[in-house]
Amino acid sequence: MEWKEIFGRLLTNKLSLFGLIIILFFVLVAVFAPFLAPPRSPEDAYEIPRAGWQVEPQPPREGYPFGTAQGSYDIFYGMVWGTRTAFRIGIIVVGLSSFIGISIGTISAYYGGKIDEFFMRITDVFMSIPFLVAAMVLTTILGKGLDNVMIALVTFGWMSTARLMRSQVLEIKNEEFVQASIALGAKDHRIIFKHIIANCIFPVLIQAFMRMGSMVITASALSFLGVGAPEGYADWGQMITFARDWILGGQGSALKYWYTVVIPGAAIMFFSLSWNLLGDAFRDILDPKLK
Amino acid sequence: MNFLSKEALVEVKNLKTYFYTEEGVVKAVDGVDYEIYPGETLGIVGESGCGKSVTSLSIMRLVESPPGRIEAGEINFGGRDLTKITEKEMRKIRGNDISMIFQEPMTSLNPVYTVGDQIMEAIMLHKKVDRKEARRQAIDMLTKVGIPLPEQRVDEYPHQLSGGMRQRVMIAMALSCDPQLLIADEPTTALDVTIQAQILELMNSLKESYGMSIMMITHDLGVIAEVSDRVAVMYAGKVVEYTDVDTLFEDPKHPYTWGLMNSIPKLDKDVDRLEAIPGSVPSPLNFPEGCKFNTRCPLAEGKCFDEEPPLEEAAAGHKVRCWRYEDLEEIKKRGERIYEDRGVQK
Amino acid sequence: MVNYIIRRFLILPFILFGVTVLVFSMIMMLGPYQRLSTYINDPAQLKGGDLDELVAKHGLDDPWYEQYGRWIGGVLQGDFGWSESAGQPVTEAIFSRFPATLELALFAVIPVVMGGIWLGVLSAVHHNQKFDHIIRIVSTVGWSFPTFVFGLMVLMVFYGMLGWFPPGRLGADAAAVVRSAEFIQYTGLNVLDGILNLEFSVVVDAFRHLIGPIVTLAIVWWSYILRITRSSMLETLRKDYIRTARAKGVAEKFVINKHARRNALIPVVTVAGPMVLGLLGGVVIVESVFGYRGIGQYAAQAAQQLDYSGILGVAMYFSFLLILINLIVDVSYAVIDPRIRLE
Repeated sequence: MEWKEIFGRLLTNKLSLFGLIIILFFVLVAVFAPFLAPPRSPEDAYEIPRAGWQVEPQPPREGYPFGTAQGSYDIFYGMVWGTRTAFRIGIIVVGLSSFIGISIGTISAYYGGKIDEFFMRITDVFMSIPFLVAAMVLTTILGKGLDNVMIALVTFGWMSTARLMRSQVLEIKNEEFVQASIALGAKDHRIIFKHIIANCIFPVLIQAFMRMGSMVITASALSFLGVGAPEGYADWGQMITFARDWILGGQGSALKYWYTVVIPGAAIMFFSLSWNLLGDAFRDILDPKLK
Repeated sequence: MNFLSKEALVEVKNLKTYFYTEEGVVKAVDGVDYEIYPGETLGIVGESGCGKSVTSLSIMRLVESPPGRIEAGEINFGGRDLTKITEKEMRKIRGNDISMIFQEPMTSLNPVYTVGDQIMEAIMLHKKVDRKEARRQAIDMLTKVGIPLPEQRVDEYPHQLSGGMRQRVMIAMALSCDPQLLIADEPTTALDVTIQAQILELMNSLKESYGMSIMMITHDLGVIAEVSDRVAVMYAGKVVEYTDVDTLFEDPKHPYTWGLMNSIPKLDKDVDRLEAIPGSVPSPLNFPEGCKFNTRCPLAEGKCFDEEPPLEEAAAGHKVRCWRYEDLEEIKKRGERIYEDRGVQK
Repeated sequence: MVNYIIRRFLILPFILFGVTVLVFSMIMMLGPYQRLSTYINDPAQLKGGDLDELVAKHGLDDPWYEQYGRWIGGVLQGDFGWSESAGQPVTEAIFSRFPATLELALFAVIPVVMGGIWLGVLSAVHHNQKFDHIIRIVSTVGWSFPTFVFGLMVLMVFYGMLGWFPPGRLGADAAAVVRSAEFIQYTGLNVLDGILNLEFSVVVDAFRHLIGPIVTLAIVWWSYILRITRSSMLETLRKDYIRTARAKGVAEKFVINKHARRNALIPVVTVAGPMVLGLLGGVVIVESVFGYRGIGQYAAQAAQQLDYSGILGVAMYFSFLLILINLIVDVSYAVIDPRIRLE
C-alpha cells in the first residue's frame, strides 16, 4: 500500500483522526513549551517553579490555571514541560528497545538453528520477570531519576518486539522472492535489509505506536511510586505522587484536590489513547478484513 | 435423456444479487435464468468474478449480507420460492434437501472437531436419530465415499487426512441426509490432477446411486466436459449461453464460448495456433453499456454497444445472449478465426 | 503432544537458571556493602557488626561465580536475606503478604477473563454495529488508562466522596474479628475464611475493601482480553469451515458458540502468559494506591526505600510464579488444540 493512501485513510477514519489531533496538540504544546510556560532559566527548564512554600495543594486560580500540587508546584508548568518529558521518554525508549528487538528478532529468525534457540531462550528469561517489577529492581539499583528509568525500560522492553519481528521474518523467509534473491547470489546483508525488513516492518510499526503509550504510562507509574523522576521534576507521573495522601486525608473533601490527579492523569491517558488509536487505525487499514 | 418433459427441480428466474460496497454497487448476478432437472448435472462455467459462485450461494442464501443482497428474482424449489421463505425454514433445507461443497477442503473442515463429529452434526440436525445411530450412518457414509478404515477415520481430526480425503469427507457430510441437489463450487480446483479424476468419478457414481442432481461450478472446461449434462456459460453476472454439453463443445454460438473453446488445445483438432480472448473481464463497478462482452468481442459493433442482447433461443434447447450469433455461424462455416493469433504455438 | 510437553519441561531448568543469572547480575551491580542485606538474615549483625568483616566473612569480594554459588545455595533454601523496609527476613515478608495478593488476583482474574471473553465474542458477532463500536471505544480507553490514575480516581469518588470502598484490606472491626481466637484462618483469604467461619460481617467488609482494587486492576486487563478475543473471533468467523457449518443448516447461535468460539479462544490462551505478567505488575500499583497490604505494596515500599534484598526477593518469586504459569498455559494450549495434541 502506498504511504499516501495510508495517510489519506488515517485522516478519514474518525477515531484515528481524533488520535492524530491529540498527538498534534501534544506536539504543539511540547514545541511551544518555552512560550506557554516560560522557564526561569534554560538549565532549570524541567524544574517546576513553586508558588510559595505551602504544603497543601491549591486549586486553579489567577496565575496558576491548573492550581498547585503539594509543595506549591505549579501544575500548569509541570503539564507543559511534562509533555516534552513524555515525548522524550516515549521516543527514546521505544526507539532503542525497538532497535534492539528488531535486530535480535531478525538475526534470530534469519539464521535459525542454534542462534535462534539461544536468542529465544534469552528472550524467555527476560520475559520471566514482570516488567514493572524488573524496572523497579533496576531503578532501585541504578538509582532514581528519569534517565535510569529509561535504561530500565529499554533493558526490559525489547522482547515483545523481538518476538514479533522474528515471527514476521520467519513467515517472509520462505517466501519466493527471498529465495529468488538468494538464488541470484545477493549477499547476506542486502537480503536482510532490503527485502525482509521492508516487508516485515508494518506490524512492528503498529506495535511501536502502542508502546509509545504504554511506555509513558509505565514511566509515569514508576515516578508515581517514587522511583522515577525526582520531586519537582516536570513529569506527569511525578506530579501525581503526593496526590494520594491528600485524597485520603479527609473524607468528603476528597474532590477538593481533584486537580492534582485529574489533570496530569488525563494528560497521560490521552497521550496513551491517541497512540493506541493511531496504532489501531493503522492495523485496520493494513488488514481491512479485521475492520 | 430428455429433461424438458420433466419438471425442474430448481428453477432460477431473473436472479439478481448485488453487493453494496464502499466503492459502489457490484452487480455480481444480474438477471440469471436456469433450471436444474432431477438426476442431471448442470455445469456452470466462467472466469473468476463472473458470478457463478454467487448464484450458488444465492440458492443456499449464504450470501454475506451485508453487503450482499438478493435484489430480485425467484428461486423455485419444492414448490416454494427460496428467496421468500424464512431463515428458519431455509436452515431445514441446507444440508438436507440442498447441500453444498466448497473449493478448499484444507480449510473447510473445523480443525477442533473430529471428522465423525462433523458428519454426525449434519445427520442429527436433520434426522431424528440418536448419537449411536448417527455414528453408524457417518461410518456408512465414509465407506460410500471410498475412505478406507472408516471406523478408525471417523474419530480422526481433519489435519490427519490428506486433501483428497478431506474432500471425500466433505462429500460424505453433504450427502449424509440424502439431498436432492448437490452444489459443488470448484470442488477439485485445489486438488492434484489425479485426485481430481477420482473425486469427479466418485461424484458421478454417487449421483447415480442417490438419484440426485448436481450443480457443478467451475472454470475448467475439462471438468465440464467430464461431468455435465447441460451447461450454462456465465459472463459478467449473466448467462450468455445455455445448452447441453455436447452441443456446447461442438457448436458454441456465443463469441465468448467460442473463444473459451478455442483457447485450449484439443486432441482431435489440428491447429497452428491457439486463439486467446484479448483483454480481461471488466470491473464489476464499471460495466460497459450494452453487451457486457463488447470490450473484448471481435464481432462487437453498433447495437452491441447500446443495448444488451436478451437470452434467446437460437436452436432447440440452445439459448444464446448475442446480437450477432448468426454472423458467427457464417464465420464458422467459412472456417475462419475471429480472434487474433496470439498465445502458444502448437 | 508428549514431545511438546517434554520439550517445555526440559527447557524449564535453563530458564530458571537464566533468571537467576539475570537477577544475580543485577545484584552484582551493587557494591559489597549494599549486597550484605541479601545474605544476612539477622539485623543485629547488619547494624552492629563491622561491615568489612562481614564482607570478608560472606566472601563478597570473591570471584563472582563463587558468590553466585553461595547466593543460589541460599535461594534454594528460601533464604533471600533481610528486608530493611519490612523488618523481617525477605521470605517471611513475602509469604506473610501472599494471601492478600492471591485473594486480589483471584477475584480480579475471574471477571477479567469471563467478562473479557464474553464481550469480545459478542462484539465480534455484532461487528461494526453500534454495540461493537461502543465496546471498542470503552476497551481502547480502558487499555489506555494508567492504572494508578484510575485507582486514584476510584478512591477519590468511591471513598473520598461516598465512603463506600475504603482503602486497606479490612476495617478495624472486621480485623479484630479475624484476629480473634474463634476465627480460624483456613486459607488466609478473608472472603473465603469469612464464609467458612460463618462470619458474614467479615465477608462483607473484606469485599468492600476488595472492590476498588479489583475494578482498578481488572479494567486494563479486561480490555486487553476483550480486544484479543474480538479480533481472534473476527478472524475465525471469516474462515471457510464457518461457511461449511452454515451450509449444513446449523443455526447461527451454534455456529458462533460451537464452531467459532472454540477456535477463536485458542490464540487467547496464549496471551494468558503476558496477562499474568502484566497483572503481577499491576498488583504493585493497585496495592500501593489502595494501601492494600500485599506483596505488591511491599515491593513498592522496598523500591522506594532502596531495600535491595526486598525488591530482588519479590522479583525472584514473581518470576518463578510466572514461569510456572507459562508452563501451565503452554501445556493447556497443547491439550486444547488437537492439531498439537495429536502430533
